[in-house]
Amino acid sequence: MNTTKSALFAQAMEEHKGIIYKVVNSYCHNLDERQDLAQEILTTMWLSFDKYNNEFKFSTWMYRIALNVAISYYRKDSKREDKANVCEASIVHIADEPAAGERSEEIKQLYQFIAQLDTVNKAIMLLYLESESYDSIAKSLGISTTNVATRISRIKEKLKNQFELQES
Amino acid sequence: MNLDEMKNTWVQQESQNAAAITIDQRTLVEMKINKQMQQLRAMKWARIIESVLFFCILILLGQYIAQGEFTLSATKVSALILSVFAIIGLAGNIGQVILIAKVDYSQPINELQKNIYQVCCHKLQLTKLLLMSTPFYLAYVFIGFDVLFGIALFQHLESHMVWFYSVSSVLLLIVTVWLSAKLNYKNIHTDWVKNTIQFIVGERLVNVAQFINNIESS
Repeated sequence: MNTTKSALFAQAMEEHKGIIYKVVNSYCHNLDERQDLAQEILTTMWLSFDKYNNEFKFSTWMYRIALNVAISYYRKDSKREDKANVCEASIVHIADEPAAGERSEEIKQLYQFIAQLDTVNKAIMLLYLESESYDSIAKSLGISTTNVATRISRIKEKLKNQFELQES
Repeated sequence: MNLDEMKNTWVQQESQNAAAITIDQRTLVEMKINKQMQQLRAMKWARIIESVLFFCILILLGQYIAQGEFTLSATKVSALILSVFAIIGLAGNIGQVILIAKVDYSQPINELQKNIYQVCCHKLQLTKLLLMSTPFYLAYVFIGFDVLFGIALFQHLESHMVWFYSVSSVLLLIVTVWLSAKLNYKNIHTDWVKNTIQFIVGERLVNVAQFINNIESS
């Protein structure tokens, strides 16, 4: 039973592990923090796997946990820096940066833009880029669809202004 | 390029994102606990210990009320008042233990952050409880004099002193009720509320409160 659970989890993780990469890259600036956050997200997912509800897509469930852990993690006090360096069994390795040629200029710009957003809008942006519907984003965040629509419209406007500024 | 066009580029990046992360599945599935759950577990044990303390206080006050003849003296009323606060403290701690057990990271973000706020604001709630007991400060004094010196202080008070203490208690009650109502995450934008919460609990609770306010505003 436990072996089946582990195998199911490993398979689902292999399919969707890119989500973890995107979340840690959006919420953390340095590699140590990314590694630490990725480890915390992965262990939370594993320890919550029994409670996974089939009603939701696995990727939606993953996003909820990853974002919740990232948001809670990001706000810890300064003691976190020490904790990030605590030597413990490393279960995840994150490449510092993909090879220069591999990451397009647009993606780099997009990550830079995401970094400028506040914690809530970062989460909205990530879910929006995954082509989640406004309704699904609202459910994941626990807010109204109108609130999501208003925020996305503002993000689009901000992005447009930024690109216009760069082009000029 | 706009945001919708960027979606395509984002999706195309998927295989590179997956390649950039390596997971040691064997070690992962052996994990029984992580940092956040360790913190929650420590909090749960602290709340259980506090519950036991409140329960002990309640038992002592109960014994104090039950001893001797049951007359409606000032000291017995004082003990009853303090028992009410002990019951609130005990109930609050039991509620916290239940709340900690219900923390689920797959909940909608706003819901989970509110739960985390409730869990982390325990120290603030205890301070509010202490604050709400200050209008009844004479209850501590009456019981203290009775237990330590065997003196029923109320009988020695002159009527103008009783009036003075009654009026000051009512005034204190108004102030403490107002203060307790204000010390809420919804008022975190007010400087003195923010600074008070930061002083009592720490920066983390201020950040959670600001996050909840931010996510709820459009």
